[in-house]
Amino acid sequence: SNAAPDAHDWSLLMAAVSTQRDRASFMRIYDHFAPRLQRYLRNLGVAESTADELVQEALLTLWRKAALFDPARASLGTWLYRVARNLYIDQVRREPHWLPIQEGLDRLDHLESARLDSQPESSFDQDLLKQAIDRLPPMQAKLVRMCYLESKSHSEISGELAMPLGSVKSSLRRAFAKLQGSMRAPR
Amino acid sequence: MKPHHHLDDATLLSYSAGALPPALAVVASAHLERCAQCRESQHAADRIGGVLMQQQRVDAPTDDARAAMLALLDREPVPEHPAQPADIVERDDPDRLPGALQPWFGHSLRALRWKRVAPGVQRIRASGIGGGNLMLLRIAPGSKLPLHSHGGSELTMILDGAYDDMLGHFGPGDVADLDGQINHQPVTSPGVPCICVAATDAPLVFSGWFARTLQPLLGF
Ligand SMILES: [Zn+2]
Ligand SMILES: [Zn+2]
Repeated sequence: SNAAPDAHDWSLLMAAVSTQRDRASFMRIYDHFAPRLQRYLRNLGVAESTADELVQEALLTLWRKAALFDPARASLGTWLYRVARNLYIDQVRREPHWLPIQEGLDRLDHLESARLDSQPESSFDQDLLKQAIDRLPPMQAKLVRMCYLESKSHSEISGELAMPLGSVKSSLRRAFAKLQGSMRAPR
Repeated sequence: MKPHHHLDDATLLSYSAGALPPALAVVASAHLERCAQCRESQHAADRIGGVLMQQQRVDAPTDDARAAMLALLDREPVPEHPAQPADIVERDDPDRLPGALQPWFGHSLRALRWKRVAPGVQRIRASGIGGGNLMLLRIAPGSKLPLHSHGGSELTMILDGAYDDMLGHFGPGDVADLDGQINHQPVTSPGVPCICVAATDAPLVFSGWFARTLQPLLGF
């Protein structure tokens, strides 16, 4: 069950969901992503029942908005990550303005990508990014995971690791530069 | 006009991870609205989140969970009431506040009701923001702020007017994303007041440059 379809297959499945309301395609997406989104939310400290609800809501969002998915702009994994993160900030952290702001920024990007020749995200890019994450020095990898998977702020990380705030930030900066570099690799 | 001073990569990464304190996230959103370059970086940061989310080891969903999901699909379509997107548009109206600031301060720069807190310094604080402090500051043209350094995480974005310091010239759309190592002395440009939005992650107390700059003036 861990052999995920590649990016091309995900977009075919998404097309079947959006044009034919195809449940079998939807459930293939569900089988791969639902447990991962669930684990992601549980790691952030979300209670199990709330996490289950948010996963269902994320997948329902996909069911409703499949037509808005544009494989040229983001992989399905990136797209669902955003949906789940936004739901977490909206419903668990209860920041009331986060969702409309993200939708506004999204709309700006739609206007822009019509103009710009933006680089599509391919499964090749995803592999390079995975490798780059695996190659991060241990401390940088730890800090990146504390950000994404534990939702810790710079100050919280600084306190927890007894590390100066400036060092936390410069470490994260270096990690991000490496990971961004891997995404800009010549093809 | 394109900004020249951007969000720190560490800030963008945390924004994307949902790990930026709320007040700082408001200022970051306001800058993202004005800055295509930072939006590109934020997309890269979202990709990292997508990969980390997928890399986790998990079990296949249970039959019960799958059945529950399918039952929800049976109840679709429900009438959809999408949240109204924030007023984020590409238009160059100097009076319009960034969409991310509007829930806290309203739409119009001209309509703001300032409170004088010191000679040449006016302020409006956002109330009810969950974590940290968020405020607008209006500093008279040609003012020299005291030399100061920064405490915790602080993010300042210029909305109107400008200032100069050792890091350069900061005009509308620019952000100063500073940590404890910077020691500087901003001087606001002549002509119009410098209006900026500033956030700190310290709860309740003013820390960093606001404390050191304004504490003697404001007496808190
Ligand atoms: Zn920028
Ligand atoms: Zn300062």
